[in-house]
Amino acid sequence: MVMPDHNIYAGLTVAVAAGRLGRGWLGGALARVHQAWSGTKAGEQGGMIIRYSVLPGFGLTLGLTLSWLGLIVLLPLAGLVIHAADLGWSGFLAEVGTARVLAAFRISLTTALAAALINLVFGLLVAWVLVRYRFVGQKLVDALVDLPFALPTAVAGIALSALYSANGWIGSILVPLGINVAFTPLGIVVALTFIGLPFVVRTVEPVLQELPPEEEEAAISLGASRLQTFLRVILPALTPALLTGFALAFARGLGEYGSVIFIAGNMPEISEIVPLLIIIKLEQFDYHGATAIGTLMLLLSFVLLLLINLLQAWMRARHAH
Amino acid sequence: MRTDGKVLGVHVGRPALRDPAWLRSILIGLALGFLALFVVLPLVTVFAQALRHGLIAYFDALAEPDAVSAIHLTLLVAGIAVPINLVFGVTAAWAISKFEFTGKSLLITLIDLPFSVSPVISGMVYVLLFGLHGWFGPWLREHDLQVVFALPGLVLATMFVTFPFVARELIPLMQEQGIEEEEAAVSLGASGWQIFWRVTLPNIRWGLLYGTLLCNARAMGEFGAVSVVSGHIRGLTNTMPLHVEILYNEYNFVGAFAVASLLALLALVTLVAKSMVEWKWGDSLGHSRY
Amino acid sequence: MTIRISGICKRFGSFVALDRVDLEVRAGELLALLGPSGSGKTTLLRILGGLERPDQGSLTFFGEAALSLTPRDRQVGFVFQHYSLFRHMTVFDNVAFGLDVQSRKDRRSRLAITEKVRELLRMVQLEPLADRYPSQLSGGQRQLVSLARALAIEPRVLLLDEPFGALDAKVRKELRRWLRRLHDDMHITSVFVTHDQEEALELADRVVVMNRGRIEQVGVPSQVYNDPASPFVYDFLGNVNRFDCTIDAGVARIVGVDQAFPAVGMAAGPAVAFFRPHDIELTRLEAPAKGTAVSAELLRAQVRHVYAIGPTARVELDLAGHMVEVVMDQDRLRGLGVDGGDWCGIKLGRGRLFRAGMVAAMADPR
Repeated sequence: MVMPDHNIYAGLTVAVAAGRLGRGWLGGALARVHQAWSGTKAGEQGGMIIRYSVLPGFGLTLGLTLSWLGLIVLLPLAGLVIHAADLGWSGFLAEVGTARVLAAFRISLTTALAAALINLVFGLLVAWVLVRYRFVGQKLVDALVDLPFALPTAVAGIALSALYSANGWIGSILVPLGINVAFTPLGIVVALTFIGLPFVVRTVEPVLQELPPEEEEAAISLGASRLQTFLRVILPALTPALLTGFALAFARGLGEYGSVIFIAGNMPEISEIVPLLIIIKLEQFDYHGATAIGTLMLLLSFVLLLLINLLQAWMRARHAH
Repeated sequence: MRTDGKVLGVHVGRPALRDPAWLRSILIGLALGFLALFVVLPLVTVFAQALRHGLIAYFDALAEPDAVSAIHLTLLVAGIAVPINLVFGVTAAWAISKFEFTGKSLLITLIDLPFSVSPVISGMVYVLLFGLHGWFGPWLREHDLQVVFALPGLVLATMFVTFPFVARELIPLMQEQGIEEEEAAVSLGASGWQIFWRVTLPNIRWGLLYGTLLCNARAMGEFGAVSVVSGHIRGLTNTMPLHVEILYNEYNFVGAFAVASLLALLALVTLVAKSMVEWKWGDSLGHSRY
Repeated sequence: MTIRISGICKRFGSFVALDRVDLEVRAGELLALLGPSGSGKTTLLRILGGLERPDQGSLTFFGEAALSLTPRDRQVGFVFQHYSLFRHMTVFDNVAFGLDVQSRKDRRSRLAITEKVRELLRMVQLEPLADRYPSQLSGGQRQLVSLARALAIEPRVLLLDEPFGALDAKVRKELRRWLRRLHDDMHITSVFVTHDQEEALELADRVVVMNRGRIEQVGVPSQVYNDPASPFVYDFLGNVNRFDCTIDAGVARIVGVDQAFPAVGMAAGPAVAFFRPHDIELTRLEAPAKGTAVSAELLRAQVRHVYAIGPTARVELDLAGHMVEVVMDQDRLRGLGVDGGDWCGIKLGRGRLFRAGMVAAMADPR
């Protein structure tokens, strides 16, 4: 296999070249590329590609940004994909087609979906309460919403695990009722709900805040009840934000590792999530398996990222009324 | 005109939009109950478990040599990764917000990319590059260099994961502020550095602080990515979150929760600082994109 | 009587938006609430529509106490300044909204609703745009949709909050004419809020001039324009020359000017005199004279500037330190042939003298 090596070499050259770029050099180079592409004639200062600006530092800052991005993020990710390409289609399918891998994907997808759905409902509720009502301790509650962003996932993991185990505060209530959360897929859902909690709240909040009150007043003066106003006027206006928050929470849940492994029990084909399976494969030096699964995960992330970008474009279009 | 609207939020002062008291109480109760169950209880658990055998046991657990070396390593990794990402974030935000060029939105998406990638993958890519069986593995071994299962790997993985934090905080803020002030500075004869230090930086300092805080919290708390590249060598390559895992798996709950409580305190300090920045200088922060 | 408002008060924190307001709206009239921002006109309209609750006072709709009624039960159509169309609904769905949300027993059939909406869209000449979204319409079109939406529920009263405020001058004029025609056809009792005096005077059957939460004057347009009841109304409606005066022994004098006006029965002290620019007559003075008074009725003033664009010309003069504005036909100005620096005689015509709490007409000076 020569191609992959060649590709990685080409990638490196680009990154290294970008690293050497001084002021202005890059602007000119980009302009030439653009000129070649679009056939338009580049102006004095980089022409079409960069609108003329009197501010300094474009070549330097963009050059640094691109080389840094290339070295830290893009090159390693490309390495993963190229590694996977080494496997070939049949090799790739053989790695991801095993019962254990498929089960891990099924578990990861369903638990992330369930947690995102819970967050969709309760995230909207929390956002509504924070924007529309006034109550004591509101600012504290508002700050608490961000805790899952700030709390290290391992800490959340052991805390949730301790809470829901048979002798924990919640577990000791649930287990006698026959509800086992710790060491079951339900535990994964709990952990992912915690992790995804801020996403829906923080995407819906600003939209709810900026919803013109006159629109609701119009609905009410036209004879709509409060419920009708909510269902027909408010909810449709929130839909893009809700979906964005949902997709963000789902994407985050899919890749989450730290908070899940402590509470999940990690039994193959029952409560073993995909990121854990990747780590297990790596620890067994099964780089082929890890690469194949990782690439599939990466692909899923890209699809979700694309979806989220489209949703956000939709949101902006709504906003630009 | 309606003076109350501004203080309380646009919807609060409108009687026709007011929900009945019973509905308000139910919804507030549900929301608070949900947050109590999923946020407050886990947080309280961390401290309750850490202090279960009293303060002496708590401080003993923290003074244990492996715990101390984990704390040192965590501070070291964050101390390298955060400043580098800070410089990168400012640089990227300057290029993106002060200039118009094609491919800009693609660049923003690429900068955000690490957020959408599973932390496990963020760590794995470096193992594939620098690990024993990775592309550069043999070369590194020849020159007696170690990246994976050593400090460089931890720093790289942490940098990958926290890559977008500062940039994504600054980009919307700097885009909102526009370039008029900088152009004025240019017309008055200021150099690039002078413009940045004296015009731009004062305008973005709170956003920069905010982004750095979040970046730092994540850098110190990162688990999945560093877990892959660390090799879990006690006292050598274990950061605090990894040390928490080891202790927990050894059923040393007081030890695990004691170290975890430090991380939880860090999270709380971050939240308090973030809230203070938001309440006091909310106007000078851009709208965060999540 | 359609609507009776009595003793309405409304405060927002320490800000008094409405201070004991009494007003009657007559059946079928088009009433304008006119005033500067902060005068309480929008708050009053929102109280009529049930979107705001007064702290005190009473309100009746067609003889029925209305304050306890929900906006829905009041059957009012409300048109907002910024249209407030539902942005995720088509034009059709916007207009149909009020009919769709009626309770099951009152709701018409789908077919009847469609027919009604089509009819309304025909009326505002937007039928071809039924499937568009609000963001695809111009400002004028949006406001027409907003009107059609309000009319769909067949309201007993139509309330419009600065309906043309967000539109550019040309569209505003067209829509103004259109609303007048609509009102003449349908005779639906309507109240609209505006800060544009020209709009109020041109469009309304009666004008309510408001200031600082109180009603200054109510009357037909010619009445409030020609017979302002207070210095505020004088100032707010149209251009006016304002002179500080002193009253002494039943005689008023403009400060620094040798001319006396009768101020019979008014107490001594400072006062203000108002003259509209077209109520002042200008004559050419050949020989410069001393003092401000040329004769008993003629005052001497120097031309500062002449604005001669369009059919009417505007001349600014200096009368012993007072700025005086005079408006006349272009032809007449040409006949006079005055220019900056020239001396002119001015004759003050109909005016009005105000002293705190007292008003006197000022006709010819003696």
